[in-house]
Amino acid sequence: MSGGPLIVQSDKTLLLEIDHPDAQACRMAIAPFAELERSPEHVHTYRLTPLGLWNARAAGHDAEGVVDALLKYSRYPVPHALLVDVAETMDRYGRLQLANDPAHGLVLRALDRVVLIEVAKSKKLAGMLGTKLDDDTIQVHPSERGRLKQALLKLGWPAEDLAGYVDGEAHPIDLATDGKDGSKPWTLRSYQREAVEAFWAGGSGVVVLPCGAGKTLVGAAAMAEAKATTLILVTNTVAGRQWKRELIARTSLTEEEIGEYSGERKEIRPVTIATYQVLTSRRGGAFTHLDLFGARDWGLVVYDEVHLLPAPIFRFTADLQARRRLGLTATLVREDGREGDVFSLIGPKRYDAPWKDIESQGWIAPAQCTEVRVTLTDAERMSYATAEAEERYRMAATARTKMPVVRALVERHPQEQVLVIGGFLDQLHQLGEYLDAPIIQGSTTNKERERLFDAFRSGAIRTLVISKVGNFSIDLPEAAVAIQVSGTFGSRQEEAQRLGRVLRPKADGRQAHFYTVVSRDTIDTEYAAHRQRFLAEQGYAYTIVDADDVLGPSLPSLD
Amino acid sequence: MTTSLADHLRALPDEALAALLQARPDLVVPVPADLSALAIRAQSRVSVARALDGLDQFTLLILDAARLTRDPENGTTSVDGVQTMATTGPRPPAPAEVRAAVHRLRGLLLLYGPDTALHLVGGIDELSPYPAGLGRPAAELDLRTAALCADPAKLRRTLLAAPPSARAILDRLAAGPPVGSVPPGALLAPPVGGEDDLPPDATNGGAPTGSPVRWLVDHRLLVPVSGGKTGAAGTVELPREVGLLLRRDTGPLGALRTAAPPVAAAPREPKAADSAGAGQTMEAVRQTEALLEQLAAEPAPVLRSGGLGVRDLRRLARAVGLDESAAALLLEVAYAAGLVGEMDLPGATTGRYGADQQVLPTGGYEVWRAVSLAQRWEQLGRAWLTMTRQAGLVGQRDDRDRPIAVLSAEAERAGAPAARRAVLGVLADLEPATAPTPEEVLELLDWRAPRRARGRETAHREVLAEAATLGVTGLGALTSYGRLLLADVTSADERGADDPLGLRADTESGDPSTAVRALDALLPAPVDHFLVQADLTVVVPGPPDPALAAELEVVAEHESAGGASVHRVTPASVRRALDAGYSADDLHGLFRRRSRTPVPQGLTYLVDDVARKHGGLRVGSAGAYVRSDDEALLAEVLADKRLEPLAFRRLAPTVLATPYQVNRMLLTLRDAGYAPVPEDAAGSAVLSRPKNRRAPARVSVATRTVDPLTGPKLSLPRLLGVVEQIRRGDAAARAARRAPAVVRGGTPTRPTPAHTHSDALAVLQQAVRDKALVWVGYVDAHGATASRLVRPVSIGAGYLRAEDERTEMLHTFALHRITAAVLEE
Repeated sequence: MSGGPLIVQSDKTLLLEIDHPDAQACRMAIAPFAELERSPEHVHTYRLTPLGLWNARAAGHDAEGVVDALLKYSRYPVPHALLVDVAETMDRYGRLQLANDPAHGLVLRALDRVVLIEVAKSKKLAGMLGTKLDDDTIQVHPSERGRLKQALLKLGWPAEDLAGYVDGEAHPIDLATDGKDGSKPWTLRSYQREAVEAFWAGGSGVVVLPCGAGKTLVGAAAMAEAKATTLILVTNTVAGRQWKRELIARTSLTEEEIGEYSGERKEIRPVTIATYQVLTSRRGGAFTHLDLFGARDWGLVVYDEVHLLPAPIFRFTADLQARRRLGLTATLVREDGREGDVFSLIGPKRYDAPWKDIESQGWIAPAQCTEVRVTLTDAERMSYATAEAEERYRMAATARTKMPVVRALVERHPQEQVLVIGGFLDQLHQLGEYLDAPIIQGSTTNKERERLFDAFRSGAIRTLVISKVGNFSIDLPEAAVAIQVSGTFGSRQEEAQRLGRVLRPKADGRQAHFYTVVSRDTIDTEYAAHRQRFLAEQGYAYTIVDADDVLGPSLPSLD
Repeated sequence: MTTSLADHLRALPDEALAALLQARPDLVVPVPADLSALAIRAQSRVSVARALDGLDQFTLLILDAARLTRDPENGTTSVDGVQTMATTGPRPPAPAEVRAAVHRLRGLLLLYGPDTALHLVGGIDELSPYPAGLGRPAAELDLRTAALCADPAKLRRTLLAAPPSARAILDRLAAGPPVGSVPPGALLAPPVGGEDDLPPDATNGGAPTGSPVRWLVDHRLLVPVSGGKTGAAGTVELPREVGLLLRRDTGPLGALRTAAPPVAAAPREPKAADSAGAGQTMEAVRQTEALLEQLAAEPAPVLRSGGLGVRDLRRLARAVGLDESAAALLLEVAYAAGLVGEMDLPGATTGRYGADQQVLPTGGYEVWRAVSLAQRWEQLGRAWLTMTRQAGLVGQRDDRDRPIAVLSAEAERAGAPAARRAVLGVLADLEPATAPTPEEVLELLDWRAPRRARGRETAHREVLAEAATLGVTGLGALTSYGRLLLADVTSADERGADDPLGLRADTESGDPSTAVRALDALLPAPVDHFLVQADLTVVVPGPPDPALAAELEVVAEHESAGGASVHRVTPASVRRALDAGYSADDLHGLFRRRSRTPVPQGLTYLVDDVARKHGGLRVGSAGAYVRSDDEALLAEVLADKRLEPLAFRRLAPTVLATPYQVNRMLLTLRDAGYAPVPEDAAGSAVLSRPKNRRAPARVSVATRTVDPLTGPKLSLPRLLGVVEQIRRGDAAARAARRAPAVVRGGTPTRPTPAHTHSDALAVLQQAVRDKALVWVGYVDAHGATASRLVRPVSIGAGYLRAEDERTEMLHTFALHRITAAVLEE
């Protein structure tokens, strides 16, 4: 027995005991082919999936190496069947190749003729394959490249894509690491550099980094690598402006080179930032703005917050297979379960880092997560108990009992900038009045939002109540405390994104606090448990406290 | 020859005879009466076949050489002759090897007699008609071919003239077997004038030759054995002389290999093979346990034809995450190991098939679960080695094209253990940790005992796959503990000394636990602790010891298994633990004691939270209750000695419950002087009055007519109806009475049938004209005579149509059936 840090499970999960001295080396060895699934404090879980193994093959790892890594670090004997399965799975990759034929353009070429015959007969590929050129080659229309790859993946015969990427329209972009306009010199963080390298080596793919870990810079570095016109897709206008600010500050790009394509402005420039919303807006049933994809010869397409990618964009992304695509996200958890589509259309996960690793390196603020359980008053309990099923969550989440708790929490951190985040507008308005804090919601104009954010940044406003609009891509550097009063049912990624609001490293390395206020013994508690699951798997241990401990001995009276 | 064999036996010294009987033990079952009987038995087909089965390829070829060198006169050969033939060829075996082979054959009494006059035992020729893959001599096949063969120069010229495609056929037949089948029409001449249309020769693009087989037959190099000129599919045979000529380069016996073919694969790291195998044993044991647990949770019904249904197998396989073939194997092994059995369903009915028996784990399963992993595996491995089941057949179709079910009689194969030992024996004889490919193993088996291996290739491949699934082999090589187990099972079964595959003569290893000890050293030691994490997962970093496993089974949901096991604590699992009798403190203690890591606050909180709510609702059963707003009154009832039999229990200050039914309680309470009122489910009082018993209702006599003796009043139409009814009845009675004797038949004094028949026709024709009533006698469809009074309507086409006035129906009589007709008077 080698006594290694790795335990191989028969369901193809790998358990990595991180307190083991070899854990780091083992992590490096298995990261290329195994996907990190959970990273709680003691044992990280990786999973061997066909997709992961094929990606490893694509990146030049062979089955022998994978098996060696498993055997080298495994603490216990590895079942023979699993080793055979790994070898067989990896062997399926690359029997088919997508290649550029000088005469016929994009072709599907077989190194194993039987496989080609098998897939050519499949109904799933009907219409994707063109004329048969010879026994081993079938013509493919370039527009079907993405769909064909996706379909072949589903058939279990992933094609090796040798057709390469178009370079796109060249445009000089450099990282301004020496500092720009008098700012301090800076360098990419080690994990950002690794992420960019992994992405560039693979051509296309998704980089998963925690909120506040500087995903924008990964995007900027990728652009500097591509040195080509770039299309950046973001969730909303505020996020787009933020990208623009960041790009101007950190790269050689100037304001004139960056265009904004949103509901308000329609600029197409060498670097264009568009919102998902405008791209998916329809007029007369047709997507009027999708021409943007063809407006320029983009060399790189960046998808920010790729876990939110709307379905129509998926369809158009399938047509963009010849262009480099970079997906950025903190939580590749889609409640609609379409993670697989993200991987197959944008690309496999190229880089992933456990949140706690980055925290320990000091790039994100250490956060303490606390769940505060409030006990409903008898009247509230009674009305909850008799409420209709669809009303129950709203009733539990918006219980007035939460208000004094929220105030107590705000008062606990008198020196900090506090965000109060909720999902129900009525509740937020009540809270705004109760706490005497401004509210940002969907109907707040962009101008007003920016004003409030600026005031918040400058410290003029200490507490801000925000609705779901604030979930993503707003940069509030000094928010150190977030209090969540309600959410979108059991959305795991929402919880992670909200935690992300307070994870940007603080100037003095202070700890961030994340509170979630939950009504005891209601469906609110169940949803909270589900919401916390992703973060718990990232090693964020929630501490549960009773509201009474927060409030102190005497309960303030309501109304 | 029989006498000479008997004589030979008689001349043998006792030791030699004993050695012979040891080599061929089937000769003494039952013990033969005398040496002649022994000689006859030694030449019997079955016994010779057994002796041949165990021989390796080389020895068989030497025996073939002896057959080929037989003197046609007296049927004897000599050692020198055999040696000459065997050593002719490019790579002759050492003479000593040939002699050793002859010695082996002698030892088995397949050859006997002095060196210069070796006799072959009878029966060999029947068993393999083509010695060394050579055909019969030309003289036995065809005279003209014989003539060609008698002229070596011409034969050679003809051979050289053969077109390449024909030559390819010759070479294939020369390598043996010397008989090939040809498609229909291949031997027919091409149509006249069509010779030029033939396609060019496929092999070299040369001149068209038509069918190469036909060319060969035409040139007497092949002899059609059947189906020759008719154009049907047939067979052709290569004469021995031609075959020998073609084998000039390889020697008359073909390629001779004195030793087993070598294995190309370099030996693996023994540790790696053992480790992979040990990992697989853990898997196999775990999966078996999971399968049986599934069976325990939902026993599978036994099919009427035996075994488990495809759907049940699929369900089990899916639940455990196996493919069906692996699940079938593990089920078969578990059954063979006595871990699974059938049980009659309680209250089984014989009316419904299939549901009468169920398959579920046996009591032995409990014992099995309690022993160590290595011992559990050993039980499975031992059962697998010795079970006469071929699990690979499951899912295939039997002779009647029905799928073979797992655990059914169709998967029974008596030869399965021998096949397993043969395959593993091959692996065991190689260097440790050598991993030959399946093809190499099959080749080795084919060399070791060609007569046994042939036709069993599929079974042998299955054995390799099964050995890998069970972890007997790892990375394709026999593991060290697998070797020990094999040796153990073989020595325990030493009676199989006639087993020519030998396996290992490991007679001393009587200790059953060597394999277990070897495996134990490879398997991880059980652990008694776990790691608890903030996401409420519990990781046991190794196989849990039984106590820990039992605890975790209660308090956490199982999530992932393998080298370690992952569990998750959920509110439901904590509730289950509380239900099972743990208190919150017990659970805290359990986690604190077992966890190597600090217990996360979330888990502590979860336990407390669930415990707080646990039992918040209490459920019980009661026969009836008493409630009252007057607490004092209830206290009185509770204290009343007379009501003690009701066993009242106070649920609340205002409610008492009793296990007895309402009525009994009411009576008892009333007897005791209380005034209870029953209430219904909605809480409203049910009023009850004593009910009077009554007999079923009867009709009063007052509704009857006053005088029962006055007759009923009848209306005129009704009376007329009655009259008509009476008349009809009368007419019918009269008719029945008055059917004339002639018509009734059976009268001894009736005229000749022919006369009667023509008379009857005349009578009937007259009656048709007169529209008169006629008695018709006839023979009905059952051959009985009958008569009927009818009014004939018409006669024609051999039928009489007539009307029966009584029944008012039209009847048709076949004229030839009518025996008589008499006008009614």
